[in-house]
Amino acid sequence: MSASGPAAEPSRLDELSCLESMRRGDPTCLGGFFEAWGDRLYRLSLRLTGDPAAAEDVVQEAFLKLMAGAEKIEGRSRLSTWLYRVAYNASIDRLRDRKRIVAVPEEAEDETPPMPALLVDFLSPEEMLEDAETRHALDEAIAALPPSLRAAFHLRDVEGLSTAEAAEALSVTETNLKVRLHRARLLLRERLSAFVAGRREGHA
Amino acid sequence: MTCQDLVRSLSDYIDGTLSPEARAEAGAHLAECDKCHLVLDTTQCTILLYRAAQSPGLDAPRREALVRRLEKACRGGDEPV
Repeated sequence: MSASGPAAEPSRLDELSCLESMRRGDPTCLGGFFEAWGDRLYRLSLRLTGDPAAAEDVVQEAFLKLMAGAEKIEGRSRLSTWLYRVAYNASIDRLRDRKRIVAVPEEAEDETPPMPALLVDFLSPEEMLEDAETRHALDEAIAALPPSLRAAFHLRDVEGLSTAEAAEALSVTETNLKVRLHRARLLLRERLSAFVAGRREGHA
Repeated sequence: MTCQDLVRSLSDYIDGTLSPEARAEAGAHLAECDKCHLVLDTTQCTILLYRAAQSPGLDAPRREALVRRLEKACRGGDEPV
């Protein structure tokens, strides 16, 4: 009708036709496809496994499965949730394998959201991130969450997936996804509040 | 609305998924309750912090090696890399 269609349309077509050509054995556009997805899958897996080598391995596994797969993936959102789901499951498998060696936080039985206890002001994110210790505190706080909460928070709040997409990627209902996200946000807020309060006492 | 109610619907408030009535109620509570307002601020700041502190991803040499391995697998794995 007019040229005012959504701007994202061409890239949607590109990725799906690229997938088809990769499945036919033509790697011409693999580099570009990796550019679009490699880091996203790597970051999710790194958040879950905490291990760069395992995360790299997970990315490779996800790509190999995608290229070997025969089922048609329709739409860019499907492609995104498919890839995240494979990366999530592969990461959880590796965590299970390692569980005998490192402690993985378990999901609490109690599904009620934690009530905020610590109330301290934060500085702006820009000011807080100037400090290397804050970055370390962020990593520690999220690593202390059960993997299912970590993944929900990462996909929704960091990668920007919709509730429906994140739920599909993690194979849970939207209601369940929202419960996990809510718990994750409140638990992270609490841990970062403890970090900020501790720093202030230390500097006082 | 109590503080507990507010905390329960905090994520929906942040995500803009409350009904207009519930949103207005939450807004009225937040305008009066400093504690809940601080919880809202620090929760939003927590989200922004993680978004801003996003890790960079694979470093260039490992990325290139991985792409080469995948290209080889794509071609059927029988060609030299």
